[in-house]
Amino acid sequence: MRSEVRATQEAMERHGYIAEAPIATVVHLALAMRKPLLVEGDAGVGKTELAKVLAALLGTELIRLQCYEGLDVSTALYEWNYQRQLLHLKLAEGSGQSPAQLEQTIFGRDYLLERPLLRAITGRAAPPVLLVDEVDRADDGFEAFLLEVLSDFQVTIPELGTVKAEHVPYVVLTSNRTREIGDALRRRCLYLYVEHPTLEKEVRIIRAKVPGASEQLAMQIGRFMQGLRARPMSRMPGVAETLDWARALIVLHRDRLDAETVQETLGCVVKDGADSAELDPAQITALLEESAA
Amino acid sequence: MARFAGALRELGLTLGMHEEMDGVEALTQLDLLDRDEVRWGLRSAFRIRRRDWSLFDRLFDRFWSRTPRPDNPTVQSPTDAPRVGKRPSRAVRTLERLLTTVPAEQEVEDGASPGYSPDEQLRRKPFDECNEHDLAAMERLLRRLPPLCAPSRRSRRLVPVNSRGRIDIRRSLRRAVGTRGDVLWLARRAHPREEPRFVVLCDTSGSMDPHARFLLAFMLSLKRVVKRVEVFAFNTSLTRLTPWLSPGRLRARLERLAAEVPDWSGGTRIGECLTEFVTRYMDAAVDARTDVVVLSDGLDGGDPEVLARAMRAVRRRARSVTWLNPLAGDERYKPEARGMAAALPFVDRFAPAHNLASLARAFERGGS
Repeated sequence: MRSEVRATQEAMERHGYIAEAPIATVVHLALAMRKPLLVEGDAGVGKTELAKVLAALLGTELIRLQCYEGLDVSTALYEWNYQRQLLHLKLAEGSGQSPAQLEQTIFGRDYLLERPLLRAITGRAAPPVLLVDEVDRADDGFEAFLLEVLSDFQVTIPELGTVKAEHVPYVVLTSNRTREIGDALRRRCLYLYVEHPTLEKEVRIIRAKVPGASEQLAMQIGRFMQGLRARPMSRMPGVAETLDWARALIVLHRDRLDAETVQETLGCVVKDGADSAELDPAQITALLEESAA
Repeated sequence: MARFAGALRELGLTLGMHEEMDGVEALTQLDLLDRDEVRWGLRSAFRIRRRDWSLFDRLFDRFWSRTPRPDNPTVQSPTDAPRVGKRPSRAVRTLERLLTTVPAEQEVEDGASPGYSPDEQLRRKPFDECNEHDLAAMERLLRRLPPLCAPSRRSRRLVPVNSRGRIDIRRSLRRAVGTRGDVLWLARRAHPREEPRFVVLCDTSGSMDPHARFLLAFMLSLKRVVKRVEVFAFNTSLTRLTPWLSPGRLRARLERLAAEVPDWSGGTRIGECLTEFVTRYMDAAVDARTDVVVLSDGLDGGDPEVLARAMRAVRRRARSVTWLNPLAGDERYKPEARGMAAALPFVDRFAPAHNLASLARAFERGGS
């Protein structure tokens, strides 16, 4: 293993992100090659967390753009401050300014509201980490626009001209695959697929994130989750659910899993009607026995 | 490196110059003696999707194994591997038979197709030839398919329009500068109508033979009517037909179809086929804006539990699920076949369709 990869891995771990070698390798590459990183994987495997940790270990700002259907340029990139513009126009009435002068003033930087994408480009300090979260939720039109920003790191505002990036930000895009990301966008990025953790990794994550959990409890939870994921679930529980569950158990002062405890707290883990209907007490007991073995 | 990329391409992975150059650059950043590190790095630089990882890994191991191989380390060309759907002769013949002969009602091969009861077929008039006239009629009908499946939806985006819509302050104000801030003209924006997207799954098993003419016209016309459509055929296995439906002479298109679909007129395993669809294609083909149409008689020889699970997965992801059933044209029909009963809870709209007239009736009833 190359020393930089190991260093990345250790730094991520110091910031509370347990990354196996494949993840550390790709993160190292993304940093070294200064390429956007497209992270895919099931919900709750820690995709968003990856960007947060990246910002923490680089010691820079994290700028987050949450995507949703209908997201448009005025929410993602910039918007003019209309109220101020109108106010200025009213105040300037009778001052004899020419329309051209007026226009110059009200379409200046002072009247511009910077949204996440523009903020990521114009940041004066160190290059920030730009997290474009759940990019699959935005529509293809927005994806095409994003592509343009990501390839040139410059934005053209008709009234103002072209704004060039002071620093090229580190970009992390996440996707839950509710829609296939277009090839063009995929092409711009390095690709990382985060899988559900192995037992060993999951136990380490529980221990790191929920300090109150004993080794034994963490192990039991980990085994139970592994057993659960081996079943055909319609909504696969991720690490996020594991951690919620571990915390819930701590709050309830449970230091080991038994059928009753699992039954009471199942809502932390299984979040689908059909799934929880299928998990009857007998199934839970069977899973528990497996995880005790 | 170029050879490795070339071999990956031959296996059907899309890999551009971009990816290849990133791969080379990645190698400069990695410990070349650490095989796994190189593997992970290249996998990322080549943007290999999760589902293709095993393919990639196998090839990677063959290429970069440390023990020198005696023979030339290029992969076998994929033409050596058995390609799905390359059994033209038999399939073409079956199809020709279906299309050209008018089988007497007694000629029904009983028991030949699993999950299928012969007297169902006796009640139906067999089809003869699928001709251009059919296709034209079908196209006219299919133009009404989108509103049947789900009311056309407006996008959540806003685009400039001339009349009626939300006020677009930005553009209005831009104009107002010329009049010193007096807004004399209001620019407006509205949500544009969304283009429908379809995924159509057609049953080509033996029990569908009586409806073959309808089925073929349906498949062949779809692409002309709905711009964004993916068509799959299923019987005992699933085949993606979209690339083969491009316009052309009817005869040639039929032959292409026949060549692509293995086991035309064979048995049915709807559950397994839909499961394959869910695992292999659904991520790419279906999103929250897609309407899924299944054209099948629902006579399934498989485990209804498997079918129900697959249908639930489809229902969860798609905007709507429509099931067109050729048998349902009969007044006496009740969706009681095991497969159909298992799928029904996950279907938004269930309509009969066994010939043009019934499809038209379904539209009349449903389109209102």
